Amino acid sequence: MNCYNCGCRLSEKDFCTSCGADVSVYKKIIHISNRFYNDGLEKANVRDLSGAITSLRQSLKFNKNNIKARNLLGLVYFEIGEVVAALSEWVISKNIRSSKNIADDYINAIQTNPARLDTINQTIKKYNQALAYCTQDSLDLAVIQLKKVLSLNSKFVRAHQLLALIYIHNEEWEKARKELLKCCNIDANNTSTLRYLKEIDHVSSVEEDKSKSTREKKKENDEVVRYQSGNETIIQPINTKEQSGFSSIFNIIIGAVIGLAVAWFLILPARISSAKANINQELKTVSEQSDVKTSTIADLQQQVDTLTASNAELTTQVSSYEGDNGTLQASNSLLKAADLYIADASDVTIIADVLATIDEEAMGDTASKEFKQLYDALMADVGPKVSESYYSTGYAAYKKSDYTTAITDLTKAFEFDNTNGEALYNLANAYNKNGDVTNAKKTYAQVIELFPDTERAKRAKDSIAQLNNE
Amino acid sequence: MINFEEELKKFHPSLEVEEAEEAIYNQDLTDMADVLVGMIKDMKEE
Repeated sequence: MNCYNCGCRLSEKDFCTSCGADVSVYKKIIHISNRFYNDGLEKANVRDLSGAITSLRQSLKFNKNNIKARNLLGLVYFEIGEVVAALSEWVISKNIRSSKNIADDYINAIQTNPARLDTINQTIKKYNQALAYCTQDSLDLAVIQLKKVLSLNSKFVRAHQLLALIYIHNEEWEKARKELLKCCNIDANNTSTLRYLKEIDHVSSVEEDKSKSTREKKKENDEVVRYQSGNETIIQPINTKEQSGFSSIFNIIIGAVIGLAVAWFLILPARISSAKANINQELKTVSEQSDVKTSTIADLQQQVDTLTASNAELTTQVSSYEGDNGTLQASNSLLKAADLYIADASDVTIIADVLATIDEEAMGDTASKEFKQLYDALMADVGPKVSESYYSTGYAAYKKSDYTTAITDLTKAFEFDNTNGEALYNLANAYNKNGDVTNAKKTYAQVIELFPDTERAKRAKDSIAQLNNE
Repeated sequence: MINFEEELKKFHPSLEVEEAEEAIYNQDLTDMADVLVGMIKDMKEE
């Protein structure tokens, strides 16, 4: 402690040992200031921050140079979210004692972090905005703003209190209580907080009493019937019916119905959905299998087409082979005819029958030169005889007007001997007589062509003319 | 019963950071020691 007059350090005496000034009252003032500081410190230690602020302010009123008290006051302000007030105290403290002052650290901690400083500023602005909303009766907006403020600085006691006040105004007692309890956790002995809490407790107890009495009254009314009988008030309890067996059964039925409804509306749709999913899966599988089978069928169809083409080709080949076989058969027949001719040359009918089985036209170019030579030799020797034989039978049939047999035999007679003009002419006549005009004309024309300048040709011409005139 | 309007009047806008300087300058820092020194000075002058 220094003398207010000369600044010299004071001793235990009531006067300054340097300048002699009376410092007894001054010392008492300083002691009171220190006393308040101690009081403030004690309160701050038990989180009675409001009490601490009061004591520390008192301390500073006695001695503005009480640096410890001022720094602690700033710290307490900071704790309850009053950052600007805290900064003010620390700045003043730093001005009073520029060195070895913890306020310097506090200020630096805030000032060196621009983001934190900005957050502090935003918090204050939002709080002021919320307060403005309250005065404009826009309490919903105020609540929103205050919630934002508290999300930025959860220790802002005044914001908690204002929010609690709004909740109280809206009769949201539990929310208000919650906010106030948060206030108490920061500042345990704040008068406003405690007053609000008391009010909430009072309202809650009143409401509880009311509801309790209402419940009791209702219960009482439910249980008894009061009526006046002369001068007496009769309170008669209401007989409550015991649950009968029927009601039990009814309740069971209701329970069963509810159970069924739950099954119908909750379980069944899930089952149906599951079954549908399974069906879809199976359908997908079947569809895939069907695709595979379709593909297989297409392949098989292609194979069938290929095989059909192959079959047709082979059939053609077989036909050609059959042709060869026919040639062979013709060769066999020719050999047989030759054999018969060697055995008995006079039996021309049998030889002719065997030679008739040889289809000369069908052989075409496939027949060998030797085959043709043998065939022609046989025909040259046997042909006229056979022709004569057929002619005889044919002509006899013609004479008997058996034109069908005549046509057959005369045809063969001309086939075996194409120089037999008589056979051809009579064949034409047989056709004519048989009414086959077309073949008749054709055969007559053949007679004219093959045997010109003969009597038969002349007669054939006459016959054609006659047929044309008819 | 708490009167909302009355209670609301007890809430004042907080000082913003920009206003801190002005608030510091305007703060009355006179203490009891100043008063005492002033009184003693006055007495001496008389």
